[in-house]
Amino acid sequence: MRVRFLDPNEIAHVREAINADPEFRLAGRFFSKDILLGVGDSGCLVKVRDGVITEIKLNPTFMDSWNFFIKGSAEAWQKFLQPLPPPRFADLYGGVSCKNFELGGDMEAVFAHYWALTRMLDVMRELQNN
Amino acid sequence: MARFEPVIGRYVYVVVRGTEYRVYFEQSGKGIPLVCLHTAASDGRLWRHALNDEEITRKYQVIAPDLPYHGKSLPPESVEWWKEEYKLTKGFLLDFQVEFSRALGLERPVYLGCSIGGKLAVDLALERPDAFRAVIGLESGFSRAKTAPALDFHNHPRISNQFRMQSMYGKTAPGNPEKYRREIGWTYGQSAPPVSKGDLYYNFIDHDLSGDKARGIDTSRVAVYLMAGEYDYANSPADTRVLAEQIKGARFVEMKGLGHFPMSENFEVFKKYLMPILEEIATNGQK
Repeated sequence: MRVRFLDPNEIAHVREAINADPEFRLAGRFFSKDILLGVGDSGCLVKVRDGVITEIKLNPTFMDSWNFFIKGSAEAWQKFLQPLPPPRFADLYGGVSCKNFELGGDMEAVFAHYWALTRMLDVMRELQNN
Repeated sequence: MARFEPVIGRYVYVVVRGTEYRVYFEQSGKGIPLVCLHTAASDGRLWRHALNDEEITRKYQVIAPDLPYHGKSLPPESVEWWKEEYKLTKGFLLDFQVEFSRALGLERPVYLGCSIGGKLAVDLALERPDAFRAVIGLESGFSRAKTAPALDFHNHPRISNQFRMQSMYGKTAPGNPEKYRREIGWTYGQSAPPVSKGDLYYNFIDHDLSGDKARGIDTSRVAVYLMAGEYDYANSPADTRVLAEQIKGARFVEMKGLGHFPMSENFEVFKKYLMPILEEIATNGQK
């Protein structure tokens, strides 16, 4: 599966679409964090400043810092990004509880910005299926 | 002419373990009392669709209380609750249900609860088997009193209620009406900061069915129905089926396309699963 937020030709569009989402704009107040998204062996670093995604950096290395991460296999993300995801892959909390995804780092930041974070993932799902 | 619902809200004073509570409840309909208990950190509003459903209220008097410390039921006046950590216990919940029914003079009511309310259905059947003619537990799962996850983020000065709103939205099933999925989250945004963590003490610790305790339930005294939404990852249909198999005579129903809040996230789908059970209980009650 081609993940749109990992496609070099798509990341500018993904960034713009999330930044233009009315709910993400509301939810993102005070949100300034770097989020590592791991998809199998690939990944990206999403940099958010004051509720705006300023950069999606593909294939970050160990030299990149981040505040927290979400990691899952390519298969797990494929299920998560379906328009109607199956049980245990439908949302971040459930996916992590069922060990289909791994969530780590600054957990206080995760929960403080949980609305913005999950809305970002939901928009990524919407874009994946457009 | 204003548009009114048939639902009436009022207060009743209930004494539990020597403390008087001013309890808000809503009711609608006539017939067999059906007491509906909400989930942790929410309130009776989760039952608004059942309260307004004519097919149900033709045979059932639907009654939905807000537990003390929830919704419009304030903390008790006689307790300096601000000096102690709020914690919901099994003993209180069991006694509350019995005393609430007694205060309203309900005759052989039916109990219906979701999540902590679903877990309480099983505890009532086990420990207060003569209080209800039947118990229906939604999303009760099968608690072996697992170690609770760190719950401090449920009551933390730098994490707002928005976290609970959004995490509960995530426990609904995708594809159900967005307006109702969001409404569930809204109620979670309105509980006082300590309530979620305190309620989950019962959910994770005090409700404990390890050691095959549920095998002690006698369904000749109280009928037991357990229902689980396909998308409920925390109280999965698989876990609930294991529990139902321990209770001789209990019936298990998996509800496709529903998550942790079946009565609120898509009532019409939930009703298709609930009505045969309510019919069965009503028929058995006539024997």
